[in-house]
Amino acid sequence: MTEALRRRVERLTLAAIVVVVVLAPLGGSRLLLYSLTITAIYAIVTIALNVVLGLAGQVSFAQTTFMAIGGYGSALLTTRAHLNPWLALVVAALVALVVALGVGPPLLRLRGHYLAMATFALALGTDSFVGAATPLTNGSMGISGIPPLAIGSLSFADPLAFYVLSWVACAITLGFFATLATSYVGRAWRAIATGQDIAATLGIRLLQYKVLAFAIGAIMASIAGSLYAEFTSFVGPDLYDISIVVNIFLMLFIGGRGSYAGPLIGAALLTFAPEVLSGFEKAQNLIFFILLLVLLLLWPGGLLGRSQDAGSMADMLPLWLQRRLPSR
Amino acid sequence: MSVLTMTATTKTFGGLTAVSELDLRIEQGEIHGLIGPNGAGKSTTIGLLSGFLRPTSGSITFDQRDLTRLDPSAIARLGISRTFQQATPLVGLSVFENVIVGMHTRFHASLGAVALRLPSATREARALTVSVETILARFDLGMLAETDAKNLTFGQLRFLEIARALAMDPQIILLDEPAAGLNEPERQRLAGVVRELRDRGMGVLLVDHDVPLVFGLCDRMTVMNFGSVIASGKPEDVRADAAVVEAYLGGEPAKGAAR
Repeated sequence: MTEALRRRVERLTLAAIVVVVVLAPLGGSRLLLYSLTITAIYAIVTIALNVVLGLAGQVSFAQTTFMAIGGYGSALLTTRAHLNPWLALVVAALVALVVALGVGPPLLRLRGHYLAMATFALALGTDSFVGAATPLTNGSMGISGIPPLAIGSLSFADPLAFYVLSWVACAITLGFFATLATSYVGRAWRAIATGQDIAATLGIRLLQYKVLAFAIGAIMASIAGSLYAEFTSFVGPDLYDISIVVNIFLMLFIGGRGSYAGPLIGAALLTFAPEVLSGFEKAQNLIFFILLLVLLLLWPGGLLGRSQDAGSMADMLPLWLQRRLPSR
Repeated sequence: MSVLTMTATTKTFGGLTAVSELDLRIEQGEIHGLIGPNGAGKSTTIGLLSGFLRPTSGSITFDQRDLTRLDPSAIARLGISRTFQQATPLVGLSVFENVIVGMHTRFHASLGAVALRLPSATREARALTVSVETILARFDLGMLAETDAKNLTFGQLRFLEIARALAMDPQIILLDEPAAGLNEPERQRLAGVVRELRDRGMGVLLVDHDVPLVFGLCDRMTVMNFGSVIASGKPEDVRADAAVVEAYLGGEPAKGAAR
């Protein structure tokens, strides 16, 4: 796929997403609206990972840590401190920012696998911490009864209202991502991702830019975590376990690293797959992972990602056959 | 006028001395050639000057400012730019983006101004886009602006590498074997570009194996062998130096010609 074609496909995909999101409330079921709301929230987290990994090239598994700060922050600040839910969301995001600025510099000095390992430990720790810190987090029972967001008399306890809110938040996040990606800041990130030494010779402050990406990703993930908590009015450790981290990575890798529409498509595929495949009952997970494997082998850059240097199966299969089939 | 100076600088790797007691002085507005056989310590010297390597002893200064504790990015921000021998582009970025990313230090808009697309940020980006187009035209890469840099020919990559290093408008540029692998017309163009840089007031350190090119271009030169300076001065004086003839020009003519 050439870059021009890829861009056209991406624009069409974005247009199609807008159409689906606008039309869904007209004819869709409650379940569809529910799933699309979850899609929007996970799309925000995936865009967060897209900043850190897709643009800046830093393999960080810290997404659920910041989601948990948003989720538990909103839950605790509203149920215990009786803060306004909007204010709670903002305070939690600021806490996420402070944490990111605190752990970011030492973590992001690490390169490649070491960074991945260190942030993976963070993700594992998050899950165990919220499960074990019972006096604060109510352990595995979680915290329920989180009061809904509201603007005047409009309460977002209404599923349709929250649906609109979640997609507006997703659109703003995507707009922010697109603006950064096409700016000198985004280009500096991409330079760091593809050639760290070259980026340094161009005067780019490596650590500062990596920490910036990490911090922006942290704020986005925290807001998504708060929205999720507000949507279901509940938080519990299961929302932040390690399989969620893997899912967020899959959303980005299937959708396409660095692309605009990719995170939305990835989030939708992973949210809807269990429902679509539910007919297969026990074989559901197996079929799901086989499909994933085929997808990633055929399109290693993701459905909407830029073509990668590593040859995809789609490119290599004809060559492989040519070498093995007897020549005529 | 700015001067980049290396004084009695030594770099050892384990037991091996790559550069020994080296003195080097690169002034703005001159082309300084650095030649020597393979393993003479030329690349180590560029590594030291650009902050990728830290000297074991000695000092490196830019206008009295100590560079030995600075990282490559800080040195670049002082106005010292470099190219790499391998001529690697930033893959996944277009030719245009490869050059505009070189202008990183010339962007001053704040993150907020960028995120909110304030007029100041947009104006700055537009002005620098025009400068990129000028640079691309100078290197004959204008038609390829939207192409992914990985699709360029070897010669084009060499010029893209120089274009990217020039984009920051440095005071000193360190060129690590810019002529390696170029054909004759490309070599002529390179010579023209290097002269133009000097005439615009830039200081150029030209490290290359192409002896005729270096002798023809530079105002002053330094010849290294086994990590030490064996001769330095004007090209015509260096050419007559017995030690140079023995170690390099006479001793290994085949190597110089093969490159």
